[in-house]
Amino acid sequence: MKSVRLLALTVLLLASCSTLPVIHPASPQPEAKVPACPVCPSPFFKAPHHLVHIIDVRVAGKAQGAVIGVTLIHPSAQFVSCAIMTAEGITLFEAEATPGLKIIRALPPFDSRDFARNMIEDIKLIFLAPEGQVAAKGILADGAEICRWQTTNAEFVDVVAGPRETFEITRYAASGRWKRRVKFKHDADNFYQHIELTAKDAFNYSLLMTLVESEPVESEPQTNNRGLQDK
Amino acid sequence: MKNNLIKLSRFILLTLLLFILPPRIVLADTFEQLRRNSADIKTVQARFVQKKLMKILAKPLISEGRFFYASPDSFRWEYLKPLRSVVLSGKGVTKRYIMSGGKMAEDKSGGVKAMGIVLGEITNWMSGKFDQNTSFKAALQEGRNTLITLTPVEQNMAGMIEKIEISVVRKTMVVKSVKIIEDKNTATVINFSNVEINKGINASIFQDVE
Repeated sequence: MKSVRLLALTVLLLASCSTLPVIHPASPQPEAKVPACPVCPSPFFKAPHHLVHIIDVRVAGKAQGAVIGVTLIHPSAQFVSCAIMTAEGITLFEAEATPGLKIIRALPPFDSRDFARNMIEDIKLIFLAPEGQVAAKGILADGAEICRWQTTNAEFVDVVAGPRETFEITRYAASGRWKRRVKFKHDADNFYQHIELTAKDAFNYSLLMTLVESEPVESEPQTNNRGLQDK
Repeated sequence: MKNNLIKLSRFILLTLLLFILPPRIVLADTFEQLRRNSADIKTVQARFVQKKLMKILAKPLISEGRFFYASPDSFRWEYLKPLRSVVLSGKGVTKRYIMSGGKMAEDKSGGVKAMGIVLGEITNWMSGKFDQNTSFKAALQEGRNTLITLTPVEQNMAGMIEKIEISVVRKTMVVKSVKIIEDKNTATVINFSNVEINKGINASIFQDVE
């Protein structure tokens, strides 16, 4: 009976990954022209950083408005702090993950816990290396370098390095359905100049982020005394 | 929460509009004098630089913009950068536009309705009725600079705004800054420049977004 269950589970797991792109070995043959992939592509921060972006929000391809997004990242501590402000400087939303979620301010329409959780997850996806283990490493059919992480909640994150130092991150559900896709379109000045995040989830949306300022941070992460910690 | 947003929006807008106080107010010893002095204001226009201070910000977030007002109820409050937005108000109608997808798009969210509520109170401010808003306690203090301090009296608002300070340089009689203090870590400071009182303003300023 146990072996039947194991077989069924294996079949399910294989089926669940059926929509993930196939990863080929980086250098299958010595004469291969495709370069090897010794390290995983990494568009992620390694040191603390502070960023301000203009965020254009689109739902179903239609522009919904724009806000100012502030992000503070401390990679080693997995600390993320973020705020959404109107052009007039009114703070609509502020939260931090230490890594536990803490909502400091949340005004409508940003006042649901799901929104807070998703927002923190989106920020982590963009700026921090995935949590979990590298499940596969190699190249895609088009020759792009790829590393696939399996996260602690059984999801998959693909990080792909394309031509001209472009990167793409895709998060897949355990079923293999893609949920988030992040594209970096950097210029000579800053890697995070233009970021596009597309979400295919309970509802589809995209965020077009244009960098206003970016600064390294030297201080240690400091949690905000205000707000409610997520249980 | 929605009431809080309306109150917060109203409060900040009212505060932003405070700078239209004419320089003469620095000579006023009472709010009754302010009311009398404000009666002559027909138009106001100015530039401003806004600094947002928050714990999350490594350095203040700087915004720049301009402001126009024409008696009795028209105004244009415009941010030029980093995110362009325009609030136009007149004849009982308030509209907010925001740069989105490369063009100015009208914001039809509930926040705009809050602007309508704001207007009733703005009228009070325009006519110098600074101490008649029951939500705030107003105090006037003469010193090197003239300082008007507004403190919320409602518990609900007190959790969001600690106080507002409007500083006017007594020597030059020009409004120097408005400081909205939300808590010990969060504040908005607006510094004004090129303030012009009763100079002609084209009507299109209050109608056209671009």
